[in-house]
Amino acid sequence: MIGWGLLAAVLGLWQLVATRPEHPEFVLSPVEIAVHFAAALRSGELLPHVGASLPGFVLGSAIGVILGLLAGVARSLDQMLSPVVFLTYPVPKIVFLPIVMLWIGIGDASKIVIIALACFYPCFVNAYYGARSTPRIMVWASLNMGARRSQVFGKIVVPSALPLVFAGLRVSLALSFILLFSTEMINARSGLGFLIRQAESSLRFDLMYVSIVAVAALGYASDQLLLLARRRVLAWQAATTR
Amino acid sequence: MTRSLVMGVLRRLSLVLAGLTVWELVARSGMFSPIIVPSLARIGRELWFLATSPGSLVEVWQSLFRGLSGFALASVVGVTLGVVMGRSAVAAAFLSPIFSGTYPIPKIALFPIFIYLFGIGSLAKVVLVFLECLYPIVVTTHAGSRAVNRVLLWSAANMGASRGRILARVVVPAAAPFIFAGFRIALPIAMVVVIITEMISSADGLGYLVMYSLASFKTDRMLAAVVVISLLGLALDRLMVALRDRLVFWERLDSYYAE
Repeated sequence: MIGWGLLAAVLGLWQLVATRPEHPEFVLSPVEIAVHFAAALRSGELLPHVGASLPGFVLGSAIGVILGLLAGVARSLDQMLSPVVFLTYPVPKIVFLPIVMLWIGIGDASKIVIIALACFYPCFVNAYYGARSTPRIMVWASLNMGARRSQVFGKIVVPSALPLVFAGLRVSLALSFILLFSTEMINARSGLGFLIRQAESSLRFDLMYVSIVAVAALGYASDQLLLLARRRVLAWQAATTR
Repeated sequence: MTRSLVMGVLRRLSLVLAGLTVWELVARSGMFSPIIVPSLARIGRELWFLATSPGSLVEVWQSLFRGLSGFALASVVGVTLGVVMGRSAVAAAFLSPIFSGTYPIPKIALFPIFIYLFGIGSLAKVVLVFLECLYPIVVTTHAGSRAVNRVLLWSAANMGASRGRILARVVVPAAAPFIFAGFRIALPIAMVVVIITEMISSADGLGYLVMYSLASFKTDRMLAAVVVISLLGLALDRLMVALRDRLVFWERLDSYYAE
């Protein structure tokens, strides 16, 4: 509640500063931004630019989760994959954008590849540790009761890894947005990042702020969606821990 | 004994070696022009050139300077805010909604505004690095300083420690493992943001070098710069782990990508 109050105070202060006559041209007041935002939504200037990060996120995090879970349970895969993944983990994946652009063009495909690459890492690492931290007792007990290996994997390892998998997904989702907008700022013909850059260089500050607000809203909404999904899937965990 | 050791190392490196072999084979097959897939020898030559020419060392220094100064600012401010939020209900009520509410918003979208506010030089980039690094550090420090053992706080207060002394001598050390977890997340982010902003708008730094080499079709130099950036990211992470192991000596890091 106090947080909302503070937010309102900041917005009010901003409004005050932005309506003073001597404010610089590139500062728009919140009210003006809201008006422009509604106008841009109505005119459809914004809509074609939303999207394209989803395929990269889905692809990268699916591969990351699956390989991470498998590497967490299979020693041969672990020894082959993990050193490479952990070694290249701190490398900023965005630097591969130019070479990927060179190989498969400057269209959406290269962005999807880079976003998938970046989303792969947090998902792999979290799924890997999730799978490895499965309580041994549960695995032993289920084996004792005659479960097959695939059953142990599906019924024991995957559920106990899920909380960490969701943590990885959340990091990946945030990363996919950062990368989407930066790849679009570096090289694109469409997309919100491109819109921000174009509006900036053509001094259309209204459109620039509208795109930034759209980016923020999209990031926030997708994060909330993921949290909602986690609450549904992990209802059992919330009941025990919180 | 030694044989199994060699086999273990080989198995661990198998994917890397396979990747490099495929790359070299494709580069030498003549299927693609050397601009698209330059051979490892050419990348190595460019790497040597980058390592020996003073001009390129300046680029490395620019990127490092921007990344590390933003990170240093974020670590000071972030740890302070996190500790205060963790130990004061009022501060938490004020600050926590702001941080959790704006956490999922990609701050990189603010970069154009920062360019107008702070110019196209280093300052806009440092501010963006600061902002992106601040979040993980605040969140982890907050969690860490909330999880401090009560008995430690009580006994410190009982022995007459002031509030500030308790924060500095009890809370911060007790939260140190968390703080370092935040640092470990934030440091690669700092490098990513520096490289991205340099790719978007800059006239120096490693990100600029990558884009400039690409624009002049010097793919081998571009890949050499990519190798330099990767090594830098790796080295910074190792340094952070070493620092953590020295300062937080009582709690060993488990094998969390330290293998």
